[in-house]
Amino acid sequence: MSGLSALLREKHIRYIESLDSKKHNFEYWLTEHLRLNGMYWGLTALCVLDSSETFAKDEVISFVLSCWDDKYGAFAPFPRHDAHLLTTLSGVQILATYDALDVLGEERKARLVAFIRGNQLEDGSFQGDRFGEVDTRFVYTALSALSILGELTPEVVDPAVKFVLKCYNFDGGFGLCPSAESHAAQAFTCLGALAIANRLNALNHDQLEEIGWWLCERQLPEGGLNGRPSKLPDVCYSWWVLSSLAIIDKLDWINYEKLTEFILNCQDEKKGGISDRPENEVDVFHTVFGVAGLSLMGYGDLVPIDPVYCMPSSITAKIKKYPYK
Amino acid sequence: MHGIKRKEWTKELLRQKRVQDEKKIFDYRHLTDSVLNLRDEKVYSTDALKKTSELLERNPEFNAIWNYRRDIISNSSSELEVSFWDEELAFVMMQLKHYPKVYWIWNHRLWVLKHYPTNSSMIWQTELAVVNKLLELDARNYHGWHYRRIVVGNIEEITNSSLDKEEFEYTTTKINSNISNYSAWHQRVQIISRMFQKGEIDNQKEYIQTEVSYIINAMFTDAEDQSVWFYIKWFIKNDIVCKTLDKQEYVKMLKELRENILLINNDEIEFSGKQNIWCLKMLLVLEDILEENGAFTEKNSEAYLVQLMDADPLRKNRYQSLLKNHR
Repeated sequence: MSGLSALLREKHIRYIESLDSKKHNFEYWLTEHLRLNGMYWGLTALCVLDSSETFAKDEVISFVLSCWDDKYGAFAPFPRHDAHLLTTLSGVQILATYDALDVLGEERKARLVAFIRGNQLEDGSFQGDRFGEVDTRFVYTALSALSILGELTPEVVDPAVKFVLKCYNFDGGFGLCPSAESHAAQAFTCLGALAIANRLNALNHDQLEEIGWWLCERQLPEGGLNGRPSKLPDVCYSWWVLSSLAIIDKLDWINYEKLTEFILNCQDEKKGGISDRPENEVDVFHTVFGVAGLSLMGYGDLVPIDPVYCMPSSITAKIKKYPYK
Repeated sequence: MHGIKRKEWTKELLRQKRVQDEKKIFDYRHLTDSVLNLRDEKVYSTDALKKTSELLERNPEFNAIWNYRRDIISNSSSELEVSFWDEELAFVMMQLKHYPKVYWIWNHRLWVLKHYPTNSSMIWQTELAVVNKLLELDARNYHGWHYRRIVVGNIEEITNSSLDKEEFEYTTTKINSNISNYSAWHQRVQIISRMFQKGEIDNQKEYIQTEVSYIINAMFTDAEDQSVWFYIKWFIKNDIVCKTLDKQEYVKMLKELRENILLINNDEIEFSGKQNIWCLKMLLVLEDILEENGAFTEKNSEAYLVQLMDADPLRKNRYQSLLKNHR
């Protein structure tokens, strides 16, 4: 352990800034399928670090638009790739963060909403694209994107909520579909979806206690959080678990001091960025979820982040609350 | 990126990597462009399929290419022999061996099986063997367990029979080889619930008693591990157990568990001078249920909570909150 005791803010900003200049690395090209998500992770991390201007806004927006898949009417991760719900949410989040949803225009926006709604299945679940993979991740991405666009409807929300509730498990966790094992990332997607739908009240007091219990048992003696029992800690769960606890108003059920120490120890003190575990290779995914976790715990003067949308609270404050008046 | 050690890059190493990457990038981008061009030209030939194989071998995460591959197959599916589909399954298998955690590959395998020309239980039996093997290599693989439930569901549907008893035995085998296999404990809950629901158990009371012995044994085997405790928490509170046993039997079972937990905790205190935190957590739950069933007078909950604050400081605030509710 390097025993880092402070957030290397400047280093992380420089690390994120440098990401798009790594085109001479083979890995850059192998990760095209994550590029739009990566932009969202990078931008959100910068926002939390109060440095959103590090990215050139116009360039990012035009990159987002270049990912538009005109065949299916939604966002792909990279130009010429295929639209998917996961990347569609990232595109919408970036535009909303820049207060630039208008660049979509009426027609594109209508197609995008149709794409999302069109992927809802009869049981209320969502498939990620036309090939039928079902996962509560897609329920979340669908509801979150529609919510940001102000386009939720009872026809979409009600069956989706019903499906999410079926994914609640005996142990207080949520799975990727009914009868699947509890996983902390699915706790976030399910609780986030319920919060967006304004239906957290579908869970009773005992269930909320059980959820809080299962989530706080994710903290390990070294301070980090895992995603399932008997698994290793990983910085990304600083987001999945903490945001879930925040949504059910039990954020302080884990130990802040120990988790903060764990996240800080995952920083690369030379080149910046945060890794999954101490001494491992950093990436933008763990960097955003590390700083976002710190923000939820009120670390330093980080910019507050919304646990439901994983976007700056100042931005999400403008999202229309469902049910619409 | 998960589980990859940070590497010290000297200037020389960086230079070497850059030289090697230059060629790799050139080839990769060239291949990507040519495959995407074929796609845009709506070419659905065997050669195009081969090209997607080549690209997916280099990058199994490239979902647009998996999509194109499916479009190629769909466009020629009427002409495809069974042997084609078997080859496709073999290709996916190779991919899974290298990348068992890539969602797109699992997704593609299911798609192939869904479109396989003959819908016999045979192909799904093979899948069961495949997933068995995978779970031998990685007993907690999240995709693997998810996939297993789908495979078993398909076999049951085609053969119009229930595999619950076999699957129950499977969870026992998995737990016996590693008691911390929470995925198997989770699956056990699913199966037991179903077996009771479908009336697949002849002597239900006996079944529950056998399960009680099994979990007491598990508790003694590894009292530190939370897997078994989460299972116990479910077991003592769920409707199946509450309704199968009459009140007297239910209370007797709870007390039996309680005595054993106290025993484990006392052993631990003697051995290490510390309380076992999971014993305390479960005693709390047990006390509440016993009280609800009018079978308990002497309550130690507050004392347990105070002890837990000390013994399990990471979750101190939870205990504080419970204490507030208790008072």
